[in-house]
Amino acid sequence: MKSITVEKIEGPQWTHYNSQQKQAGHQLLALTAFQGHRLVCHWLSPDGFVTAAVLHWSGLDFPSLSPHLPEVAFDEREIHDLFGYVPKGHPDLRPLMRTPRWPADFYPLNGTSQFPPNWLDTQPDNPAKIVEGDGVTVMKVGPTHAGIIESGHFVFSIIGENVLHLDLHLFQNHRGVEKSLEGLALEEVPRLVSRICGADTVSHQTNWAMAVEQLAGYQVPETLRWERVVLLESERVLCHLNDLAQIPAGVGFQVAHQRALAMKELWQRGLLELFGHRLLFDTVQPGGAARVEVDSLLKLIQTMNKVWHPWRNFVEKHHGFNDRMTGVGLVRRDDAARFGAVGVAARAAGLNFDVRTLMPLYQNLTIPATKGGAGDVAARFKVRLQEVESSWRILQIALNHLREAPAILRWHPPEDLSGEIVSYSESPHGLNVHVVELEQGHVRRYHVRPATFRNWPLVAMATAGNAVADFPLINKSFELCYSCSDR
Amino acid sequence: MHWQNKSLQLRHLDAGSCNGCEQELTALTSQAYDISQFGIDLVASPRHADALVVTGPVTDTMIKPLQKVWEAIPRPKRLVALGDCAAGCGVFQKAYACHGGVASAFGSPDLVIRGCPPQPTEMLEQLKRFQNNSQTATESGL
Repeated sequence: MKSITVEKIEGPQWTHYNSQQKQAGHQLLALTAFQGHRLVCHWLSPDGFVTAAVLHWSGLDFPSLSPHLPEVAFDEREIHDLFGYVPKGHPDLRPLMRTPRWPADFYPLNGTSQFPPNWLDTQPDNPAKIVEGDGVTVMKVGPTHAGIIESGHFVFSIIGENVLHLDLHLFQNHRGVEKSLEGLALEEVPRLVSRICGADTVSHQTNWAMAVEQLAGYQVPETLRWERVVLLESERVLCHLNDLAQIPAGVGFQVAHQRALAMKELWQRGLLELFGHRLLFDTVQPGGAARVEVDSLLKLIQTMNKVWHPWRNFVEKHHGFNDRMTGVGLVRRDDAARFGAVGVAARAAGLNFDVRTLMPLYQNLTIPATKGGAGDVAARFKVRLQEVESSWRILQIALNHLREAPAILRWHPPEDLSGEIVSYSESPHGLNVHVVELEQGHVRRYHVRPATFRNWPLVAMATAGNAVADFPLINKSFELCYSCSDR
Repeated sequence: MHWQNKSLQLRHLDAGSCNGCEQELTALTSQAYDISQFGIDLVASPRHADALVVTGPVTDTMIKPLQKVWEAIPRPKRLVALGDCAAGCGVFQKAYACHGGVASAFGSPDLVIRGCPPQPTEMLEQLKRFQNNSQTATESGL
């Protein structure tokens, strides 16, 4: 990564400076709060330069960016919940992670709260935003669901069959991941980071590894770069196969669902044999990555292709299925840009952002642009179809390089490593960012800003105006992980 | 109550899992494992369930919903902790918003399936044994 430019911003300039970054076409990486009244907003320029805008202030209030940058509305609510800092001027400062069960003085990241907290014996529900009026019904779904899915609570205001407004009440899976990472020594971190999310685990592991390596000034050898590309792309295939299986399930298209699950199973059995884990947990560490048997993975890709193409042909030519996806759950390009959408959802809406094009890991590869455009469920489905195939092509290139690549010795980071860094990668769900502060080889602050967190508000927007019965389909077309987002 | 040769209907509840256990539980319902051929299935309502399968270290926000779902399951009923987090030996059990797994948060499970996440073959074996072994049918929660 290129070096980070640090800009110290005075309070009154905070909103102006960050709005300008957005207008200049820079990508928001993360808005991170620290103890001692400090905020850092990391921006990524289109040519790969990172700027850290830093705000110091006194008192609890800081100027809210949300009225100008709606994409940080959730971030600022999170900061309010966990630090007690108050984003002044925020349009909707309801609790995000906090529940009525949290003690009033418990702000887990502010450095002065007592652990464990004395939970209050009350229900965890926060106030919901609903529509009132004749004929409007409020329908609550979750947090527990009828299928095998993660917990999340949705409050629908509906009129007849149509959704007027969807209020998201997520964060039931909030474990306190960032706090758990604080104080850990370098070698203790990978096991936890690997389990932030079962779907984007390699991306999280790679972010941690890159953060440590950049702070230590370690030049990642080519062999290791290719090994990580193999793992990241294997994860993308795995996750996309899962999502491609779930979307047909959203309309009861069992044949397509089951055949896709069978492909996923085939891929997972290969991953277990090659890397020792069906979901690729514990495969990347600072200075290392799981080795791959080149020929076995190439053979697996060949086997996959034999079942993939008939399936792709089958679903693409199924008129009923395509009719059900077309025009449903629309995300307009403008909204995607305004809300900082990332990953499949952004590309399906016509934004051509894929952070792999800016990652040093992928510097010798061309990442093909995907054709999305319409921003509906059908577009998100099609983007994944294309990305599975492009991942297999990238895998083949990487594997061919690895055939020739010299073996490397495992590097270990210095035990007293200190510093502050941001690292990012393209997880299957999109831009995944970690902000890491180390002090004498221990984590002082660890902030995780996964792709799903950024995209959740879009699910709510895309659902309004659709039939309530289409929500499962719309939700599955984003297939956002809750655990990443909730942490 | 004899559990021998009875079907086993499971209701799943995620209490802070990373989605790993969910993915592998979903695999059990696919044609590769076809769990329903053994009379075991995942059902949509606690009213239809014989047992509750909990994943995750039990986050504070899920404690009340967990109690509600458990109460909604007709007796006799059994409790299953799936995966290391639910088993109380996961990496996040000491995180501030977690209650350290099913046993310390809620009650002693009748079956604990370890693994991070457990592999589908392992889950299936343990569930089949659980289904067929009347000795494991404690009277918890009755």
